[in-house]
Amino acid sequence: MMYRMELDNGKLTRVEDGSGSIYIYVNPDEQDRKQLVETFNLDEHTLASALDPDELARLEFEPEHQAVIFKRPRNYSSADRFVFKVASTGLFLFSDKLILVLGDDVSLFQGKQFAKVASLQDLVLKMIYSSIFHFNEHLKIINTVSDALEEQINTSMQNKYLLNLFSLEKSLVYYLNSINSNAKLIERLKHNAAKIGISGESLEFIDDMFIENSQCYEQAEIYSNILASMMDARVSIVSNNLNWLIKTLTIITIAIMLPTLVVSIFSMNVSFPGKDHPAMFWLIMGLALGSVVLMRYILWWKKW
Amino acid sequence: MSAKSARRSVIVSNPAGLHARPAAAIVQAVRRFKSKVEIRKENEVVDAGNILDLMTLCATQGTELLLTAKGPDADQVLDAVVAEFAKHYE
Repeated sequence: MMYRMELDNGKLTRVEDGSGSIYIYVNPDEQDRKQLVETFNLDEHTLASALDPDELARLEFEPEHQAVIFKRPRNYSSADRFVFKVASTGLFLFSDKLILVLGDDVSLFQGKQFAKVASLQDLVLKMIYSSIFHFNEHLKIINTVSDALEEQINTSMQNKYLLNLFSLEKSLVYYLNSINSNAKLIERLKHNAAKIGISGESLEFIDDMFIENSQCYEQAEIYSNILASMMDARVSIVSNNLNWLIKTLTIITIAIMLPTLVVSIFSMNVSFPGKDHPAMFWLIMGLALGSVVLMRYILWWKKW
Repeated sequence: MSAKSARRSVIVSNPAGLHARPAAAIVQAVRRFKSKVEIRKENEVVDAGNILDLMTLCATQGTELLLTAKGPDADQVLDAVVAEFAKHYE
């Protein structure tokens, strides 16, 4: 899918008449890719990188344009089962146009930072900033989910909550790698600002982006360390919960087994003293009850 | 304090469905009030105050969700939840 947008007086608007300096390609098919390579002279490998979620963020200089590949979080869907994934986005900045290539349809240009966009270069920076903001929001959600899973683990004996925590841990590794990769890109953007046509206030904005990105990285690192270091404790909690369940079941089994043993002994098809005594039934019942009381006393005495 | 109940219906309009950020915002909105909110998707009912439930609801684009609130501020909590749906799906 391809659509175009126009940057008019600082506002981004979608245009349907074929004009517009911003080209947005969402999950381009073979024909779109061919057009991008042949018409706009995009490097085939860089174009593939823009659609590859495993590709690292980078900045490349081509004769007619600059290619910026940056990482952003992918929108979470229930099918992901608590794995927060990342995606790549390609920005191809020409002197008169900007081509955006992304693998999935996401709500672009959301947030107050897109209310006023000074230039195409400014739009590139704001998109990277928006991805840092998106990472931050997802980190907060990961933390909330982790807290909710912990609550479940405290009372549960199921592995699924632990597996969900492992998924969160895995997500944080993806995030750390991506945020770190974005940091390298921001650094390169700063060093090559003049070549790209970034100056003045935008340079200060790059500094702000770098700080925001560093804080985001630290936050992800803290959450990752907490999750990793607490994992053993959580495994022990689940194991301990299981032990308590086994203990309760064992006590119930013994409580039933002992009176059953007493009654079974007297149920054997052999003669035993006093079998014709009129109070023998109640004596057996008393012995059975006594065995339960004795077991309860032993448990109390042993503090089990 | 009398326990009131209220109901609303919303349709998920975002192409990404009920994803992480709106789910977290809905949970936060519900936790600001005393009423308990449940979200029904077909035969599945989940607690709107529980992020784990919301994130496993599989509410894709076009899904109709029935919101039910019970408690002293049932109307207000549903207003807040519907506002979150509108904010994240506009």
